[in-house]
Amino acid sequence: MGKVKWLGKGAVILFILSLALLTTAMFTAVAQEKPKAEPPKIEAAKPAQGALVGNNLGLGGKLGPAIAKTPAGKGPGQIDVSAPRGAFGIPGAPDINYLLAIIWAVWVGWIFSTVGAFGGIMAGVGHITVYGLGDYAKSFRTTNPALNKTLTDSIRTSNQFLVGLSALISTINYLKSKRLAWPLGIALALGSIAGAVFIPMLTGGKISFRQYQGWFGVFVFVVGAVLLYELTPSGQKGKKAAKAAAQAFEKSVKEKKDISTQGVTLKKFGITKSTFTFFGSDFDFNPIWAFIGGIVIAAISSFLGVGGGFLYVPYLTSIVGAPMYVVAGTSAFAVLISMLTSIAGYITVAKAGMDWSLIGIELVGIFVGSMIGPRTQKYIPDKWLKIIFIVLAVYVGLRYFSAGFFGKSWVP
Amino acid sequence: MEFFEAVDFILIYLYRVTGNPLADYYLGTFLLAFLSVLVGEFTISIVFKVNKRHLDKLNVKVEKMKRLSEEALRLGDQASYTAINKEGNDAFGHLFFNKFGLSAASLWPIFIALGWMQGRFAEIGLPLPFFGWEINYVFFFLLNYIPARILFSRLKRWLPYFRTVHQTLLSYEKTDTGRQ
Repeated sequence: MGKVKWLGKGAVILFILSLALLTTAMFTAVAQEKPKAEPPKIEAAKPAQGALVGNNLGLGGKLGPAIAKTPAGKGPGQIDVSAPRGAFGIPGAPDINYLLAIIWAVWVGWIFSTVGAFGGIMAGVGHITVYGLGDYAKSFRTTNPALNKTLTDSIRTSNQFLVGLSALISTINYLKSKRLAWPLGIALALGSIAGAVFIPMLTGGKISFRQYQGWFGVFVFVVGAVLLYELTPSGQKGKKAAKAAAQAFEKSVKEKKDISTQGVTLKKFGITKSTFTFFGSDFDFNPIWAFIGGIVIAAISSFLGVGGGFLYVPYLTSIVGAPMYVVAGTSAFAVLISMLTSIAGYITVAKAGMDWSLIGIELVGIFVGSMIGPRTQKYIPDKWLKIIFIVLAVYVGLRYFSAGFFGKSWVP
Repeated sequence: MEFFEAVDFILIYLYRVTGNPLADYYLGTFLLAFLSVLVGEFTISIVFKVNKRHLDKLNVKVEKMKRLSEEALRLGDQASYTAINKEGNDAFGHLFFNKFGLSAASLWPIFIALGWMQGRFAEIGLPLPFFGWEINYVFFFLLNYIPARILFSRLKRWLPYFRTVHQTLLSYEKTDTGRQ
C-alpha cells in the first residue's frame, strides 16, 4: 500500500513537472508566434532606407523619444505606425493576451503560496518570455539600442511591481506588531534606499535586454543551487538537526504561554558597533555592514526586479544572529522600502514606460493562485515541489544565461 | 483594451459631477480611488476567508517558534536558540509569501484604474505652484488613494458586507493565534 502511495505521489509530481515544462514551452511558443508582423513580402511597403518614425506617438518618458528615433516599417526592429497599439502603447508591439497573463500569474501566485521565493522568478519569466516582451525588446538591438534598453527597463520595473507590492501587507503587519530592531532596520533601510536609487540612475536606459537576460539567468542558477543544496544530504542534515533540536527544546521546557513579549531595546549606538538587547541578551551589529549589505542586496534586487526577501534574511541572520522574528520584520521593511524606491527611480529617473493594466491583471492572477496553493499543498510534499523548481531553474537559467551572454539558447 | 472601452462610459461619469473641468478632475479621481479601495477590500476579504485556516496554521507555527526562541534566549541555551531561529525563519518565509495573495487582492484595482486613466488623462499635468513641476495622473491618483483608504477605514463599520468583514477582522486580531 505504501509503495502504491509512493508511486501515486511520484506520478502526480511527474505530471505536474511535465505540465509545467509543457506549459512554459507552449506559452513561449504562443508568445513568440503572436504578434509578429505578417511576412514582409511587403517589399512595396518597405520604408525608404533610413526613414524613422519621427514622433513620439503620444508616449511619455524615454519611450516616446526612443520610438521617434526607431526605423519605421513592418519588419523586425521597426515600428509600423499603422499597426494597432500593443504592449506599452507601442504600435505593432506584442498584443499581450490577458487570458494568458492571468493564467501565468495564477501559476506565479500558486508558487508564492507553496514554495515562496521562486514565484518572483516565474513572474520575471512571464515578462521576459511568455508575453513576448523580451523578444520584442531584443528585436531593436541593432535598429535602435536605446529602445531596446528602455523596454528592458520597463520589463525590470514590471517585475518589481509584482514582487514589491505583493510584500506590502506582510510588511505592514510586521510594522504594526513592532517586531523591528529599529537601529538595524534604519541602517539596512538607508543602505537599501541608496542601492535602489543608484541602480536606476546608473543603469536606467543603459542595460540591453540580452545583458539583463543573461544576469537574470545567473540569478536563477543561484536560486536553483540553493534549492538543490537544501535537498543534498548535508543540506538536509542541517535542517533535520535544527528541527530535532527545536523539538527537543520544546519538549524540555514548559511553554509559558503567559510570557509577555519583551521588545527590542537599543542599548548602545555607535557607527561601527551598536547593541540592542532582547530578553536579557545583547546583540551587536556593525551599522556600516548593515548599510553596505542593504546597498548590495537592494542593488541586486533593483537590477533584476527580484530577490530582496530571499537575500535579506540570511544576511541579517549571519551578521547579527538576531531573533528570527526581528530579522523577519526588519527584512520585510527593507524589501518594501527598496522596492518602492527602485520603482520610483525607474519611473522618474529612467522614465520607464508601464503597462498598468498588465500589472493589475497579473495581481488578480496572483491572488487567485494564492488561494489554490494551500489546497494543493497536501498532495505534493515540499521535497518534490523543490525538485520541480530545481528542474525549472536549470532550464530557465540555462536558457537565459546562454541567450543573454552567447546570443543563442542552449536549450529549446 | 476592450475592457476599458466597455467600462469607460461608466467610469467617465465619475468625472462629470460638477461640470467644472478642474473640480471634476479632482473629485472624479478621488471617487475612482475610493472605488478602487472598495473593490480591493472586497477581493481581499474573499482571499482572507478562503485562506484563513491556512494562514492561521502558519501563524501558529511562527508564533510557536517565536516563543520558543524567547525561552531559549532567556535560558541562555545558544544551541537551541540557533536551531529554533533556523526553523522559525523557514516558518516566517512561508507566512510571508502566503500573504502575497492578500496584498495582490487589495492592490490590483489601483493598476486597472491607472490603466484606464492612462487612456484618458495621460496628457494632463497639474502644475505645482512655486516648483514649476507638473503632477501626472499616476501621482495624482496615488495622492487621492491614501485619503480614500483613510475614509474607507472610518466608514467600513457602517457599510453593508464590509461591516461584517470588519467584525470578523476585529475578533481575529483580538485572538492571539499563538495561544490557541
